[in-house]
Amino acid sequence: MLSSEEIIRTIEMLKNENLDVRTVTLGISLRDCVSSSCAELCTRIRAKIQRVAGQMVSVCDRISDKYGIPIVNKRIAVTPIAAVAEGLEQEGYTTVARTLDQAAQEMGIDFIGGYSALVQKGFTKGDRSLIATLPEVLSTTEHICASVNVASTRAGINMDAVVLMGRAIKGISLATGDQDGFGCAKLVVFANMPEDNPFMAGAYLGYGEPEAVINVGVSGPGVVKKELERALASGKKLTLGDLSEIIKKTSFRVTRVGELIAREVAEGLGVSFGIVDLSLAPTPTVGDSVGEILQSLGLKEIGAPGSTAALALLNDAVKKGGAFASSSVGGLSGAFIPVSEDVNLSEAVGKGSLSLEKLEAMTAVCSVGLDMIAIPGKVDADTIAAIIADEMAIGVFNHKTTGVRLIPVPGKDVGDKAIFGGLFGEAHILEVRNIECSAAFTGFGGRIPAPITSIRN
Amino acid sequence: MATAKHGQNQWVSVSVMGHDRPGIVAGVAKVLFENACNIEALSQTVVMGQFAMIVVVAPRKGSDAARLHADLEALAKATDLEIHIREVGPEGKVPFPTQETEPFVITVRGADRPGLVAAITAILAEQGINITRLSAEVVPAGQQMDYIQIYEVDIPKGLDFALIQKALQERGAEIGVVVDMQHWNIFRAINQV
Repeated sequence: MLSSEEIIRTIEMLKNENLDVRTVTLGISLRDCVSSSCAELCTRIRAKIQRVAGQMVSVCDRISDKYGIPIVNKRIAVTPIAAVAEGLEQEGYTTVARTLDQAAQEMGIDFIGGYSALVQKGFTKGDRSLIATLPEVLSTTEHICASVNVASTRAGINMDAVVLMGRAIKGISLATGDQDGFGCAKLVVFANMPEDNPFMAGAYLGYGEPEAVINVGVSGPGVVKKELERALASGKKLTLGDLSEIIKKTSFRVTRVGELIAREVAEGLGVSFGIVDLSLAPTPTVGDSVGEILQSLGLKEIGAPGSTAALALLNDAVKKGGAFASSSVGGLSGAFIPVSEDVNLSEAVGKGSLSLEKLEAMTAVCSVGLDMIAIPGKVDADTIAAIIADEMAIGVFNHKTTGVRLIPVPGKDVGDKAIFGGLFGEAHILEVRNIECSAAFTGFGGRIPAPITSIRN
Repeated sequence: MATAKHGQNQWVSVSVMGHDRPGIVAGVAKVLFENACNIEALSQTVVMGQFAMIVVVAPRKGSDAARLHADLEALAKATDLEIHIREVGPEGKVPFPTQETEPFVITVRGADRPGLVAAITAILAEQGINITRLSAEVVPAGQQMDYIQIYEVDIPKGLDFALIQKALQERGAEIGVVVDMQHWNIFRAINQV
């Protein structure tokens, strides 16, 4: 039996604190669509997506209405297209991309992820075709998200791929220059990319995943912040251990709601339920910021000394609460720090309190990486590749996922603002120091070997 | 004393009300035990010092209906309690409603005034929504006292939940209270380990 206090607290949590399900992502295997005929492949892909995802939006809306909890985004993730389209020549890839884009449009979803390749140890012909077409695909489609895994703890870092990705990012930025390089927001370069991540732009359906699966991303930075504020306002003397406990309990509650909804959506669609990703994913909405949580933890400026420790506490407490709430936790699960999507992080960049170097340190303890960071358009491809290499090293050598989503903004520099709109917000341009100093290093190419700690068998 | 058998497949519901104090449940339970009655279900609460309990019992072999009545009446007299006894036939044991429902929790919060419960329950009754649990209490809210009602209800599956919520919220706004409606599963998910 529930107490009045529990009931009232739950109502408050739902009504005033931005608790929502950030994304329901339907993973669809396209492995049975493979054909060496481009036309045939596209027909099969379209038919399969229509068959599996046809009811997705209506089922999500029904369940969202029943529980009065918004499902903010409905998305699809597919088998890496580099493999699905392996039988085609390079020009076929853009046709496949257009097909996916149309399918997403027809299903009424905002993004379809899986224009992806896994090249941590080397390339196939298809991988190279996919990477080569990224600028064209991300500048001419609306709904496609791309990701490329260039490193893993088991394989090391494929520096040839890192260099290629530096160039691809520059290419996408120029191809979408009229939108301040927005195409780059739809591409993540990963180390240790999770197979079941429901969040864009990095969602794809891994090779070990079922035929069709619902993965759900819950969020709730707003809920965590309100709980912390309530506790701090009570006047009790609290230690960081107490604050960690509050975050943990809140994360438990948020995860529970996510799992409840994910299971019902999966049942409604007749597909498997996969995982709950309990990441704290900020949005540009005020009160829905990871940066604000760090400020609640007593940091006057984000990026000030203590920021890495505070983020580590937050990230860990979120994971612990979530892991207790559900046996099906997966994806990235932690705290995201996507700079342009988080009002307070973005302001910290604008004020100059948060630097690229500090962000890099923070990514060693957060769940993703250098995410949604606008940089000057003048930064060269090799410097971008070297930033990617640094971030990949953090992931590879610490057995964790790291990602890079940098947006070089053509024609803009530090002090300017890039405007993306919607969920992607706007971004102060972050200074990149020591540009054009790393080309000789990245130019060696080859592979940075896997760390000794990868040999665990 | 005359003897009378309980009806076949009959259960007996015993409701007890009075001023709360220690020993009421013990007194009633003793009489039931001495009359070979097995307690099947029981719910007891205290509202502002007033005790209320409903017990449903199954008379076993050797239980005598007239003696049970007489013993409970004697207890009522001795302890200044009101005790009512009703026979419950098989149809009375079936919970209402028999159609498929979804469990929801409705909360009503605002300044206290007469007619709040009447206003909300009128809508529920109109829609055939059964209340399974209802509590109301006055709690401090800043400078003033807030009146909180919590309804646990079963809403027939055929009804449009969103429309019911809208009707409740609109009525709530008219009478100056905040009404929220939320599926029971959410409360369970969030609060229970």
